[in-house]
Amino acid sequence: MEEKIRALQAQAAAAIEKAANSLEELDGIRVKFLGKKGELTGILRGMGAVAAEERPKVGKIVNEARAQLEELIAQKNAELKTRALEQKLAHEKIDVTLPGRIQPVGHLHPLTLTLERIKKIFMNMGFSVEEGPEIEQDYYNFEALNLPKDHPARDMQDSFYITEDILMRSQTSPVQARTMERNAKAGMANKPIRMIAPGRVYRRDEYDASHSPMFTQVEGLVVDEGISLADLKGTLELFLREIFGEKVGVRFRPSFFPFTEPSAEVDISCVMCHGQGCSACKGTGWMEILGAGMVHPHVLEMSGYDPAKVSGYAFGLGVERITMLAYGVDDLRLFYDNDARFLKQF
Amino acid sequence: MQVSMKWLRDYIDLPEGLTAEELADKYTMAGIPVENVIRADEGLEKVLTAKIEKIVPHPDSDHLQVCTLNVGKAEPVQIVTGAQNVAEGQVVPAAMVGALLPTGQKIAKGKLRGVPSFGMMCSAGELKLDIEGLPEEQQNGIYILPPDTPVGVPVATVLGLDDVVLEFELTANRGDCFSVWGLVREAAVLTGTEPHFPAITVREDDEARAADMVKIGIEAHDLCNRFSARVIKNVKIGPSPAWMQSRLEGAGIRAINNVVDVTNFVMVELGQPMHAYDYDEVQGHSLTARRAIEGENLHTLDDSSRLAKGEELVIADAEHPAGLAGIMGGLESEVTDKTSTVIFEAASFNGPSIRRTARACGLHSEASGRFERGVDTTQTIRALDRACQLLQDMGACTVTQGVVDVYPQPKQVVTVDFTADSVNRRLGTKLPGAKMTEILTGLGFGVEDKGGESYKLTVPSWRNDVTLMEDISEEIARIIGFDNIEATLPRGNMLQGVQSRKQDFIDSIKHILASLGMTEELSFGFTSEDMLDKLCVPEDSELRRAIPIMNPLTDEYPLVRTTLLTSIMENAVRNFSRKNLDLRYFDVAPVFLPKALPLTELPQERMKLAGLISGRRHEAAWNQTADQVDFYDMKGIVEQLLEQLSISKYTVEAGEHFALHPGKTAVFKKGREIIAYVGELHPQAVENFGLRTLKQKIYLFEMDVETLMKYTAKSFKYEPLPKYPAISRDLAMLVDENVPAAQIESVIAKNGGKYFTEVTLFDVYTGKQVEKGKKSMAFNLNFQSRDKTLTDAEADEAFKNILQAVRKEFQAELRA
Repeated sequence: MEEKIRALQAQAAAAIEKAANSLEELDGIRVKFLGKKGELTGILRGMGAVAAEERPKVGKIVNEARAQLEELIAQKNAELKTRALEQKLAHEKIDVTLPGRIQPVGHLHPLTLTLERIKKIFMNMGFSVEEGPEIEQDYYNFEALNLPKDHPARDMQDSFYITEDILMRSQTSPVQARTMERNAKAGMANKPIRMIAPGRVYRRDEYDASHSPMFTQVEGLVVDEGISLADLKGTLELFLREIFGEKVGVRFRPSFFPFTEPSAEVDISCVMCHGQGCSACKGTGWMEILGAGMVHPHVLEMSGYDPAKVSGYAFGLGVERITMLAYGVDDLRLFYDNDARFLKQF
Repeated sequence: MQVSMKWLRDYIDLPEGLTAEELADKYTMAGIPVENVIRADEGLEKVLTAKIEKIVPHPDSDHLQVCTLNVGKAEPVQIVTGAQNVAEGQVVPAAMVGALLPTGQKIAKGKLRGVPSFGMMCSAGELKLDIEGLPEEQQNGIYILPPDTPVGVPVATVLGLDDVVLEFELTANRGDCFSVWGLVREAAVLTGTEPHFPAITVREDDEARAADMVKIGIEAHDLCNRFSARVIKNVKIGPSPAWMQSRLEGAGIRAINNVVDVTNFVMVELGQPMHAYDYDEVQGHSLTARRAIEGENLHTLDDSSRLAKGEELVIADAEHPAGLAGIMGGLESEVTDKTSTVIFEAASFNGPSIRRTARACGLHSEASGRFERGVDTTQTIRALDRACQLLQDMGACTVTQGVVDVYPQPKQVVTVDFTADSVNRRLGTKLPGAKMTEILTGLGFGVEDKGGESYKLTVPSWRNDVTLMEDISEEIARIIGFDNIEATLPRGNMLQGVQSRKQDFIDSIKHILASLGMTEELSFGFTSEDMLDKLCVPEDSELRRAIPIMNPLTDEYPLVRTTLLTSIMENAVRNFSRKNLDLRYFDVAPVFLPKALPLTELPQERMKLAGLISGRRHEAAWNQTADQVDFYDMKGIVEQLLEQLSISKYTVEAGEHFALHPGKTAVFKKGREIIAYVGELHPQAVENFGLRTLKQKIYLFEMDVETLMKYTAKSFKYEPLPKYPAISRDLAMLVDENVPAAQIESVIAKNGGKYFTEVTLFDVYTGKQVEKGKKSMAFNLNFQSRDKTLTDAEADEAFKNILQAVRKEFQAELRA
């Protein structure tokens, strides 16, 4: 009996080892030996014929054999599953170098991206964002900024006129005058102001690589007690380092604007050659980036603020210029050309 | 304004070793910007004068010659040349090894057909000389110098090219720097040196009295506040001396004759424009500053005639205008070779008037530029004296007795009070008053110390730009240097950095549209009748009332835009022409609607939003279909935008828009108000924009930002997630093809009962198997309760009601 069991066990083990090439085959073997009607099961069933004293011994042998075979089957099962998975995976190979499926992506205009950066920097410094009309009165665009009619500095900005007194604003500076005047008329003359005014401006400039009849400016104005030129320097240095990086050089050059006194042109170290001198900076190592100054007392006065009590600074910067330098764009017309191949790069 | 270093050095001993570039930098950093430093000798450092000692033919070449040159050194230099115009004994410019010529050519040791060559003999062109006027063989061949030219010296020296010119880009406020005198004054303060200006003296060596010879008058007192004149006799017209010609050349002014050159010289030197009249050609020997009479002929030196408008200031003799005051003299009284008696004029004219006339006539001269910025009224007589002195020094005239000077209201001296503290507070500095007064004294200000660092300043006559303490602060700041002011951040009240709700709203629109695959464009605020025509804008539309610009840049853009659609179409057409066919664009910008034309008040500025899509739905790729976008892509974008903007409960119906296809236009409404148009570009507009051959449709949307903003929910609360499962039923039916889907959905919603939650149209079909004139539609309906698990019976009940309703309303035929 015992021998018969051992032989069956060996036969089954060999079958598992050799014959089982698929999970179905292995299952067949399991049924053949261990199933309800399986050969080993049959021995247990025929236990009645075994002498009573032999039964525990035979039962033990059968159960051991069963356990061993189950173990072998489990092992084989795992092995076959792994092999099957490997085969399946080998078949399912794809070319991962093929391009991915492109999802539709929209792009904000590069000038919007720059403007958002600028707004964020100044809003974090407590500047509010103010607006004004794009078709503006000559008074706010020029006169309230200390630029009476026939002032030679008006030549600096050739404007689009609609009537003698109404024009397409040539700068965002009129928003300064409007903001101060609004405060003054509301009985809050000399109320502290920290504002920027971004917007479109229009000048009668030929359309070329560095000029456009419409462009984007950001005006800044700070008015409070004790505001000084040193504060202006500090604010603009901080701003320019945020935009162009910690290492950028910043220099202030005296200049002339009718609405500020003293006035300054602000240069940054050339973004191309880092100040060494190249064709982009005409060998000077510097690039003009914005104009600024201490608000002229006439400007404060005309808008109802008292220059004896408060002082202020103002600045104006070109968003196109900053964007061109930041992204290396060499032709301003690209911004208004709206070529799909250009816009999708941003 | 440009001036040579030599002219500056005539009046100041600049510090040893200070280069023109360093001086230019000092000027620039003090607010007197130097745009360019022009060196005529640039690249000529290693070009020497050389004498050709010997010429032998090249052993291996017909056209090359081997020259031995004396360059002033012990050893002669051998140079092989291909030029044919050289001969032994000539002196020529020779570039030595290592030279980098102005043309960019580098000179190196070389061998020409085996014979070593140690330099290059140069042509005029290679030295960047003006070749006009040279004999032809010299224009093409080597530049031959005069035989007596010293040998072995830099060619720049013998050609007089060693001067350096500073080109200034002066600001409008510094009229005083439009003169060598003014620039030297600044240089003295900036370099800490003393200027030595020439003494101006004149010998009145003619017995005649100027006042007896000429009558000077001012009629237009508002346009001319001083008119001074001198008369010189026995004038010998001839060329001015070489030194004066070279100074003028450095200033960019062509030499003409001694009298004209002297007036130009004095203008550049002192900043006072002058004019010389031929005395014998001045009718009645009288000169009057008056307004031109309308229609009067103005015949100027450039031999052009203009009819006066009546606003111009002219200097007239007894009969007619003898010149446009401050801009250009008249032709009749021009100084010529025959002139023997001259009236010198030095006057002070009203800047704005000169500016208007110069602009109107398109005549901008050295003189008008100075008057526009303002001249020093006090120095007219000095200028006259200087001119006479210079001509006298040339032995070219005698000077009559006295000056004729009309100066009814002499200029008042300007004084400014300031304290060191006020300047320090403005600049954020801690400078002592003594430092400030030192700077101001150097600049020519008179300083009266009133004690306690408080001062009274007398502004020099040439500084018309200084009237306030703030102007003083600028003088201090620019001289100490802005870089020496330590940067600080503004202190004081905390202020909130905010932007308006509208700005926030516009920013969100941009970001939402970008996330929906739309790209932002920026376009000019202009348009034209032609663009409005192309867009099919009806003649009576308010969009036709676009504001005209008085002085448009081009005919392309004479109007201010009233719609963004012209702009977005213009950009699309441009892109199509460049084969950029797949476009998904939006534009957010204001349009301008006048209340009346011509404009009497500012127009209404309406912030608009427009979009355009066309071309493939997906980018071309191996795994994407090449389907074209359709109306529903555009509509979907708008629906998603509205959802993201928290705008809900709007209706959509078929509508009309002039630029859109009449059968493919959807109007989104909130109640009666239109919030959006979506549609396909009208085929007529397609034709008008020249897009007939374009094999794809264009879809547009247009919205008004302020209107959208009215309907955006101010706040939003989340909807709790359902706790109980939903039951879903599909409803398929045949209806007349003209029944809008939105109507069916609305009937479904109305009859769905309390458990109805949602209807989704998932199929629309016309064609085979569907009766003509009908369409098949399939909806998915959802039922759900917040309080319990719904039973099938409850859902069936609701479904049954819906079926009845759609059957009744649309004669719908239900499909299995």
